[in-house]
Amino acid sequence: MAELSLDGVTKRFDDGGNDIIAVDEASLEIDDGEFLVLVGPSGCGKSTTLRMIAGLESVSSGTISLDGTVIDDRQPADRDIAMVFQSYALYPHMTVRENMSFGLEESTEMSDDEIRDQVESAAEMMGIEQLLDRTPSELSGGQQQRVALGRAIVRSPAVFLMDEPLSNLDAKLRSQMRTELQRMQEDLGVTTVYVTHDQTEAMTMGDRIAILDDGRLQQVATPLEAYHEPANRFVAGFIGEPSMNFFETTVEDERLVGENFDYPLSEETRADLGDATDVTLGVRPEDIELVDTNEGDGEHDFRTVVDVVEPVGSGNNVYLAFEGDESASELDMDESRTFVATIGGLRRIEAGQPAIARLPEDAIHLFDGETGEALHNRNLDDTETIEPQL
Amino acid sequence: MSQETVTADATDGESSTSDLRDAIGGKRILLYAVLALIAVYFLIPLEAGLVTSFKTNEAVINTAPYLPPGPDGFTLQNWAEALDTLSSGLVNSLVMTIPATVLGALFGSLAAYGLTQISWKGQIPIFALFVAGVFIPYQAVLVPLSQFWSMIPLETALSPLWALPLLEPYHADLIELIVTHTAYGIPISTVLFRGYYMGLSDEMVEAARLDGAGVFEIYRRIVLPLSGPMFAVVLIYQFTQIWNELLFALILVGGTGPSAPVTLSLVGLGTSLEGVDFGLRMAGAFLTALPTLLVFIIFGDQFAQGVAGRT
Repeated sequence: MAELSLDGVTKRFDDGGNDIIAVDEASLEIDDGEFLVLVGPSGCGKSTTLRMIAGLESVSSGTISLDGTVIDDRQPADRDIAMVFQSYALYPHMTVRENMSFGLEESTEMSDDEIRDQVESAAEMMGIEQLLDRTPSELSGGQQQRVALGRAIVRSPAVFLMDEPLSNLDAKLRSQMRTELQRMQEDLGVTTVYVTHDQTEAMTMGDRIAILDDGRLQQVATPLEAYHEPANRFVAGFIGEPSMNFFETTVEDERLVGENFDYPLSEETRADLGDATDVTLGVRPEDIELVDTNEGDGEHDFRTVVDVVEPVGSGNNVYLAFEGDESASELDMDESRTFVATIGGLRRIEAGQPAIARLPEDAIHLFDGETGEALHNRNLDDTETIEPQL
Repeated sequence: MSQETVTADATDGESSTSDLRDAIGGKRILLYAVLALIAVYFLIPLEAGLVTSFKTNEAVINTAPYLPPGPDGFTLQNWAEALDTLSSGLVNSLVMTIPATVLGALFGSLAAYGLTQISWKGQIPIFALFVAGVFIPYQAVLVPLSQFWSMIPLETALSPLWALPLLEPYHADLIELIVTHTAYGIPISTVLFRGYYMGLSDEMVEAARLDGAGVFEIYRRIVLPLSGPMFAVVLIYQFTQIWNELLFALILVGGTGPSAPVTLSLVGLGTSLEGVDFGLRMAGAFLTALPTLLVFIIFGDQFAQGVAGRT
């Protein structure tokens, strides 16, 4: 059992004299038995971070330690870490049994019998005992995935590292494996670092998620914290599907003035802004209410026209454009000027229809227009909580 | 009425497809004719050689080279004589070629592994040297090579060996040839294996490292077992090269001593003051070419895989 900690870990690649900083001063504490998901767009440094933990990449500066012992200069084999690769990286010329025994043969002094027992119990746990004598080419993608996981657990390592292990599976199998992986991790209680670019995986699987962008850690938080209390605009936009809507505004007295609307602020909210002048207003699609045209006259209600409706079954994604200026009345709007609201799947709404969009003040997020830092996050009322409860 | 229209349409359709078939057929026939012509062009010399090897001297003089001999002009004498004369050369060639081929391929594979899956500084210049090695012509190394071997008294140095059964002092010449051919074969095998190993999954090798395998264990248990198709390519290529090679043998062995490989013995076969015995020479040539043909047949499938770059 292990506690993994990264302290100011930096990775610089030398690219013909120019240093490229792939990971910039990442500091993380991963508790014993925790499932931490590293998530971010491609090229954000998440895989590099994982490979540094594994020892496949050297650390340019900073330290990585396991249970208080610095492991930076240890060989990958001596770190008590197992990794599952995106391509599974099974040895194609070996049977499943040989694939799973390989690590035990190479890194331990176990007798053949002990290895056999351990491989068989790991195979049983993964439900692959009937596949032990097949080679990887005779297995389906899902089975290969299980073997790759089995190969990792058979060595009972202190830490699991997983590099987008589900990305080669089809959608249905992926969500099934997601649950299975979570259950397995809970049963084994092994500290796990999981890399993905898929925010759904991050939200659903992680005890905590670490969001990376451009080599920098943006936020480390529980999934719900990241969703409801994003540290900055990047996190707010990255987590959540469909993404949060953003409107660029300037602060004028007690109001936010956008291109198409004025948004009055309460005193408390205004106080959070301090002396910022350029502010990005963010609101999640599900927080936008569409109200009847005859009752929407509140100060946070805006007249809009429905641009596109995407039914997804459980709900509808409705793309709206502000009504009022000439371009809107001609329905000649570029995409960046529409925003999205999600409404119930059984509510009927059609493109071209006028609608009133209500952006409730307790659901808005405000970000500094320059730095992107969150200035104000949504209010949560007493019955709502993002803290883990028993 | 409507029935008729349908029938007419159907016949129309049919005739148009058969027209199409004719058009394709015409092109096909032309293609096959050209291919057959090219095949004949390539095969005629071989065929002429093969029939000549079964002809008596009179038949060689009296029949056209590519025509089979008549019943009285047919003989197996040429083959028997060629086998008799070349047998020691064939044995020498095998003794020389098999170790040189295997060693060259093995060292090339090891070098390529070191140049692809292990990271160290200065790989590129070292690899450039291997590439340069591929292009060194035989003629350029003849003098240094003969000087080198004249400085090393292999036969006396290895004298205890000659007491062993089946070994003779003249085998020292063959060892010289084995070492020379191995060295000369390493660059090309390295370059071929390197291309192949670049295609191996990095993640797989990394997985093996995480599993605790060391550099050599990864080679022995992961890389080597996956190199089969490329070994077939390199073995066939090197076997053919070394088997057919004459120049090094001529310089290092010279003449037709007991250690002469078959290519050297073949040079003098069937030539005398009375003229050239074509039948005998052809039989000898086919006999000499037979092992390379066998190697191709045995490793052919793997060869195709290796050339196609399948890992």
